[in-house]
Amino acid sequence: MYAYKCDACGELHHPKHFVCRKCGGTDFTETPLEGEATVLTWTKVYNLPEGYMKPYLCFVIARFDNGLTVSGQINSEQPVTGQRVKAVVGVVKEGVGRDFYGFIFEPAQSVA
Amino acid sequence: MRAVGIVGVGHTKFGRFTGSFLDMAASAAKEALDDAGVRPVTGHGIDQVFLASMGAGQVNKISGAASALVDTLNLRPAMAETVENGPASGASAVKLGYMAIASGLCDTVLVVGAEQMRVISGWEATDFVATMSHPEAEYPYGLTLPAFAGMFTRLYMDKYGVTEKDLAIVGVKNHENAMHNPVAHIKLVPNLYAITEDEDANVINPYVAEPLRVYHTCPVSDGAAALVLTALDSGREFNHKPVRIAGVGQATDTHVVAERREPTELFAVKESARRAYEMAGIGPEDIDVAELHDAFQILEIAESEEVGFFPKGTGHLAAREGKTRVDGEKPINTSGGLKAKGHPVGATGVSQVVEIVRQLRGEAGGRQVKGAKTGLTVNFGGFGNNVVSIVLTTRERG
Amino acid sequence: MATIDKMEQQLRPAETAMAPYPAKYITLASGEKMVVKQVARENCGIVLETVKPLMTVERDFYDIVASRIYSEVLGHMRYRVKDEYVLLGTVDGEIAGVVNGRLVDDKVGMSYHTMTIKQGLRIGAQLFAAKMEYHFDILGQDEVWIVAESPNGFKRWMIEYELVSRPETWHELGGVPTYVLTRELWEKHKAGKCTGRRPVPEELLAKAENPRLPGKYAQIPGFTR
Repeated sequence: MYAYKCDACGELHHPKHFVCRKCGGTDFTETPLEGEATVLTWTKVYNLPEGYMKPYLCFVIARFDNGLTVSGQINSEQPVTGQRVKAVVGVVKEGVGRDFYGFIFEPAQSVA
Repeated sequence: MRAVGIVGVGHTKFGRFTGSFLDMAASAAKEALDDAGVRPVTGHGIDQVFLASMGAGQVNKISGAASALVDTLNLRPAMAETVENGPASGASAVKLGYMAIASGLCDTVLVVGAEQMRVISGWEATDFVATMSHPEAEYPYGLTLPAFAGMFTRLYMDKYGVTEKDLAIVGVKNHENAMHNPVAHIKLVPNLYAITEDEDANVINPYVAEPLRVYHTCPVSDGAAALVLTALDSGREFNHKPVRIAGVGQATDTHVVAERREPTELFAVKESARRAYEMAGIGPEDIDVAELHDAFQILEIAESEEVGFFPKGTGHLAAREGKTRVDGEKPINTSGGLKAKGHPVGATGVSQVVEIVRQLRGEAGGRQVKGAKTGLTVNFGGFGNNVVSIVLTTRERG
Repeated sequence: MATIDKMEQQLRPAETAMAPYPAKYITLASGEKMVVKQVARENCGIVLETVKPLMTVERDFYDIVASRIYSEVLGHMRYRVKDEYVLLGTVDGEIAGVVNGRLVDDKVGMSYHTMTIKQGLRIGAQLFAAKMEYHFDILGQDEVWIVAESPNGFKRWMIEYELVSRPETWHELGGVPTYVLTRELWEKHKAGKCTGRRPVPEELLAKAENPRLPGKYAQIPGFTR
């Protein structure tokens, strides 16, 4: 998973944009997006869409220490707002012939 | 620009429609044409048909559905387009109808919104609606509209002290309103105590997406609604005095919800309403009745703040105090809203306008807001990434 | 009771003594109270009449479910099914839903069907939970075998309760693949799925003891009896 850093002003984007939101620049460099983040909000969803054979799944919006904010799944039964988490890239959805990768957060202390 | 008014309304009963998609869309259209006094085939004078639907192609496997509708109604050779803008498709079609007439290209336009979602299962419908989220940063994660609404609700609770009971109060109010609306999907008023405080409440009103529960969210509905729009200077006679479209505003926000700088703000709601007010030359204090997009009850609270009815962070207090009831100072969702009237996604924006027209004509029966002259609709696409607001009035042009 | 001849005795299954399901009541979202109560074998005639109109409703597999409930309950009434039970949900005395099942042996239960008449109040989910409560908490069983005949059922039971797939066991309902609710899964999900209070106040119980046929069926618009 990558952040897209504007070559002109350094503003980070995720997902990819073609024009920088800050300076209008159009050239970006991919930088790996990883490490720790803080949970801003979370939910536990019980009515999952077609394709998920699970009774529920937890999601978060989390802010990386570099300021970038993303959505992701979280491996936790009961996330907490303000909790420190670590980003792991994993299969978020199994597709036919193509799996989808994305952020799956883990509570930071459990990833030593 | 030419002034545009609405002279005909039609609306199917929301819920499960057992006929075909085209039957449903045509039923609402026919009712609107009859209401206006437009006779199909000869001299109907319909220059253009806009059909709003989010899923005609994806769910019902009908592409270019407006072409089929225009022929079903024998309105050929009227121009026809299908409009897809997620759950804001309906109001987008009204906007395009307005633009077609205001520009001088058309004199009279038929706008129809139709959605038939109950032909698929609930979780397929959830997946279908989720396809409007970002195709890489959101959709593949299993993130759905209820998931975003749940996370938004939690932020609102943390910041402003909104409670689960506040959400239930808004929902029960809308269910009560729907009991007076013959076209509403749900004809059942939940008991506030039973769904919030009773010992059984956690089980009979379970979480959908914490902290949102079943009775904080709208049902999956089929339905269609239709309007006849005309130029006020066309000289044509219709059955009804026109309700004027005084303002149309639309705005977009970041497509990815996580990218918003202030996660409790619905910028596109605020901006679209501001533009609609500005065009109408009025402010929120002039609105007598409003239909806000309450797919989740938190949205009615947040939108009531963004459109300027109540200061930020106090929408839930206004609901608690009864200010948004039919007899309150700012009646919201007299139709029952998406919560109880139902939410056939592409039809919703048109349906909201139908309700305001009925209110301004004084045809709303047991849910009538006394003396209503000016109304507002807010139709919310994505999780607030594309919002259309419309101001309607029976007052003379200022 | 009429005397039973020898042939009839040969035909009847040997029955196990089963603790009765203690009636309970649940407050529905409408504020109405639903009483969940076992129906005695001799009173099951009304259950047959309840499901009969749905035997021709093709949508959502109501025809299969109604026809099968009809034959299961008829079998129960006429002593052709071993160790069966029927629970009824009534609201103000009117039948809102029905569930049934039987014992495979003293440790294993078999879920038959769940039929909701009054829709929009999660009555089916409540009655299914009551049925599982009967097997685990009243009869002390270790597991219940379950199948789904509709996608809705699959979503509700297999996914929401995380049932264990055991395709090598053929369920009595046509030999379709069996899913199993184990005691461990029941304990995990019980708090979120099963509710209600006991004892049922006398007035409520009196109404539930003389249930009325449903006046309308959401599945059959314009139904009249």
